[in-house]
Amino acid sequence: MPEPLQLWLLLGSAAYLAVIFFMLKTRKLTVKYALVWLLSGFVLVVFAAVPYVVYVLRDLLSVEMPSNLVFAMVIGFMLLILLSLSAAITSFAERIRRLTQTVAILEERIRRLEGESTPPSHET
Amino acid sequence: MDLLKTLVIIPCYNEQDNILQTVRQLQTDCPEADYLVVNDCSTDQSLEVLRKNGLHHINLPCNLGIGGGVQAGYMYARENGYDITVQMDGDGQHDPAYLRAVIAPVQAGEADMCIGSRFLEKKGFQTSFARRAGIRFLSVLIRLLTGSRVLDVTSGYRACGKRLTAFYADHYAQDYPEPEAIVAAVLGGFTVREVPVEMKERQGGVSSIRAFSSIYYMIKVSLALIVYRMTVSRKKGER
Repeated sequence: MPEPLQLWLLLGSAAYLAVIFFMLKTRKLTVKYALVWLLSGFVLVVFAAVPYVVYVLRDLLSVEMPSNLVFAMVIGFMLLILLSLSAAITSFAERIRRLTQTVAILEERIRRLEGESTPPSHET
Repeated sequence: MDLLKTLVIIPCYNEQDNILQTVRQLQTDCPEADYLVVNDCSTDQSLEVLRKNGLHHINLPCNLGIGGGVQAGYMYARENGYDITVQMDGDGQHDPAYLRAVIAPVQAGEADMCIGSRFLEKKGFQTSFARRAGIRFLSVLIRLLTGSRVLDVTSGYRACGKRLTAFYADHYAQDYPEPEAIVAAVLGGFTVREVPVEMKERQGGVSSIRAFSSIYYMIKVSLALIVYRMTVSRKKGER
């Protein structure tokens, strides 16, 4: 691998890691969701620093181009992250629904206690 | 007849033109039943109509869709100790004159859920051919998945007993919940019945199932039913 390219790759992956750490530090990202991102960042740094690893993996998995191996791994990471995000959204939606329903029922109860709402039994 | 404590849940999303009439009609036809309008964060004047006329309502601070709204009604019914819960649309499609007929099997303890079906006697508004075909398909699918025969699987006019109300307060399908709620009830060991009702064409507003999204609706509901059947095992009980 030519020297300048490796330098750029190193710089890029290091910057990527730095951004993740910065976001963690400023609490814009929680560790829970940062783990997969961090893992992907470390793998990128290792690949950039020691390209030999990629060649060994290429031979082990008998992939023709080393770059394809890197792409495949990156895509794999992305799928993993996207799936985990969908799962997270699902659980948040569930919680928001529960909160919304509870708030609505409590709000009606407050109105009733303050005498503003008609009681549910309008007869008897 | 001494009626058990009954709550009629009326989901309301942008029904400013229909909701008052629906409630008044209900009060005229069935004054012994309590009602609860669930305002699902309407963007029109629905809330003002509810407030001005002193209609009994809860007000969801975020729009949840029909499933989340109706479920809030079931939660309310459970908390306030109702024996029977009825769902009735706020758009005037469901005639409160049939309320007693829908409640009767549940009240008599013959069923945990009773669905008002427009196809049993084929009277009243029968909806378009395409929709009937879709409903028929879902009906067959539900029969295959659960063994229960229900014709009007998308009918939102249904009465539930106390146990099923508590069940729905905890588990209720979202998005397009009516068919899935039937499957959930049957697999949960509850008995489901149908009685004939007449439905009217909606008086105004828009149906929650629009024409252009009906293909999406069919695929999503079918998939949801199959997935539900795969993930939940049938509870043993009398059927």
